[in-house]
Amino acid sequence: MSSETSQQNDEATPNRPVRIRADVVENRDEGGVNRRLRLRAHDWPGSRPGQFAMLSPGALFAAGGFDPLLPRPMALFRESAVDAASELEILYKIHGRGTALLAEALPGQVIGLVGPLGIPFPEPEQGERAILVGGGTGIASLFDLAQRALGRTGGADTTSVLLGARNAIDLLGVGDFEALGVDLRCATEDGSRGHSGRVTDLLRQALDEDPDARVYVCGPTAMMRACAEIALSHEASCSVSLENGMACGFGVCLGCAAPVGEVGYQLVCCEGPVFDARQVRWEEIP
Amino acid sequence: MNPGDVDLRVRLGSLELRNPVLAASGTFGYGSEFAPFLDLEKIGGFVAKSLTLLPRVGNPPPRIAEVPAGMLNAISLENVGVEAFLREKLPALPAGALVVASLFGREVSDYAEAARRLSESPRIAALEVNASCPHVKSGGMEFGQDPELLASLVRGVREATSLPLWLKLSPNVTSISDLARVCEANGADAISLINTLQALDVDIETRRPMLRNLLGGLSGPAIRPVALRMVWQASRAVAIPICGMGGITSAEDAVKFLLCGASAVQVGTANYIDPRSAEAIVEGLAEYAARHGVARIADLVGALEPFGA
Repeated sequence: MSSETSQQNDEATPNRPVRIRADVVENRDEGGVNRRLRLRAHDWPGSRPGQFAMLSPGALFAAGGFDPLLPRPMALFRESAVDAASELEILYKIHGRGTALLAEALPGQVIGLVGPLGIPFPEPEQGERAILVGGGTGIASLFDLAQRALGRTGGADTTSVLLGARNAIDLLGVGDFEALGVDLRCATEDGSRGHSGRVTDLLRQALDEDPDARVYVCGPTAMMRACAEIALSHEASCSVSLENGMACGFGVCLGCAAPVGEVGYQLVCCEGPVFDARQVRWEEIP
Repeated sequence: MNPGDVDLRVRLGSLELRNPVLAASGTFGYGSEFAPFLDLEKIGGFVAKSLTLLPRVGNPPPRIAEVPAGMLNAISLENVGVEAFLREKLPALPAGALVVASLFGREVSDYAEAARRLSESPRIAALEVNASCPHVKSGGMEFGQDPELLASLVRGVREATSLPLWLKLSPNVTSISDLARVCEANGADAISLINTLQALDVDIETRRPMLRNLLGGLSGPAIRPVALRMVWQASRAVAIPICGMGGITSAEDAVKFLLCGASAVQVGTANYIDPRSAEAIVEGLAEYAARHGVARIADLVGALEPFGA
C-alpha cells in the first residue's frame, strides 16, 4: 500500500471502515482459475496487511433480484495511489455464484465496497525472519504483508514467501511476488513449478533453516492446520488468517463464528480473520 | 414539494419518532457498529440485539446460509447480557440516537426482570419483547405461538415497565390477528412483525442441513410479501400501532408497509447488503412523499385501497 493513500498515524490501529462506491477499472482472467479485479475508489482510508473488504458482486450493493443476496469478503491484495484516488487490487477465483457474477463486472461498472475490515497481521519485528505461506486464493491475503515485511526486515534473506497450488498457472499473483524481490519458493502438486508436492514441505524446510522465524499462513483449512502443526513443532509463532462465510463483515450478523480460544467462538470478521494458530480449535472447523 | 418539506414524524403510541425508519433487532448490533456508515441521529431509531439477563453464547457454526433473495440464520440469540449493554454499549451511542431495547428470556419472570433493569436507563425509549425467535429450543417460540402464554408474557412485562412496550411476533402462526389482539388486550403499546420465517436448506453433496442447528430463520426480500400480508391482517385486527418489517431494502418497500398499515418500519437484512440502508431509506421516503404530494408521511399509514367487492 502506498503511504499517500493512508491516513493512519498509529501503526497498530486499523483505519475506520467506510462504505463507498468503487469503479471497476479492469477485471481480467489471469490464466488458470485466477482473476484480477482492479477498482478505483475515492475516500478509501487505506488498509493494513491481512485486512479485507466486503464486495457487492455484480451491482451496487445488491445483485439483480437479490440473488445472490450478500456481499462477499475479499482479501485486499494491493493498494496504490492513482491521481487523487486509490486503486485496489483483488485477486480471486470463480468458485460460486457470487464470484461468477463478480467476474462479469465490466470496466466502468460501480461496485459497493465496505472496508477495510478485520484485525491485520501482526507485523514482524525489525530484522525478524518472516515466512509467509499461501495456498490457493489465500495467497491474496499475503502480498501486502510481504511488501511490508520486506521493508521492515531488510531484504529477501529475511522475508520468505512460500506459495502452493495445484499447478503453475494456478499460483495466484506469483508474478507480483517475483517482482517484489522476496525469497520466493513455490510448490505445485503436479510439479509444473518449483517443488513437486505440498507447500507444507517447503515450510518444514524453511523452519529447519531458521526455527526462530515468524510464520504467517493463509489458505485452505487443512493446509493452515498442517502449517500450524509444523510451526508449533518448531516452537515458531504462527498467525493464520481464517476464511468464513459472513453476511456483514463488521461484527453484527454473528454468522462467521469460528472455534477459537479455549471455549466458545470468535468472529472471523472483527476478532480475526488473523488469529494466533495455537488459539484455533482446528478439529471443530467444519 | 421538496423532500425537505415532508413531515416525516410518526407516532407509535406515546412515542414520537423523527421518521418511521428503524433498524431491526439482531441486524444492527448495539448500534455503534454502524456509526462508521450512517448517522444514528438521522434514522428513526434502532432496536438493539435481543438481551437476556445473563450473557449468552451462540450456536456452533455454520450459523448462516444464503438462499435466493434471502438468508437463513441460527445464531441462537448470542448477546452480551443486560448489564453489559447498560454499562458498555449504551454510553457509546450519540445522544440523539433513539434506542429500543429488545429482550427475551425462558420464563415470564426473566423477561420481567430484564424489563425492570432496562427501564432504569433514561436512554432507552421503548422495550421490544422478542416473543418470536424461531430457533431457540426453549426460548420465545412458545410465547409467540400460544395465546395464553403470550398473554401472560405481555402482562408480566407490562407490570415491570412504564416504557412503551412493543411485542415482536412470530410469523410462524396460524392467525396473526388473534395473537395481535392478545397483545393489545394485555397492555402492549405496539406490535412489531414479522420476525424470521422458520426454514431449512440442504447441501445435497454432504446430505447435511446448511445450518448446524438444522432449522433457521429466513429473512430478506424473499419474505416481504408474507410480511406485508401479516402487517395488513394485524393492522385490521388491532388499534395499537404496527411496526412492520420483513425484507425491506428500499424506500419503495417501506412505503408498501406503511400503506398496509404499519406506522413505522424496521430494516433488517438490508443492513448487511448496504450498512447505510436505513438512512438511505429515510431519504428515499422523503423523495417518494414529495413526488406524490404527501405532506405528512403518517398520511400513508393504512392508505392501501383494496379493490371493491
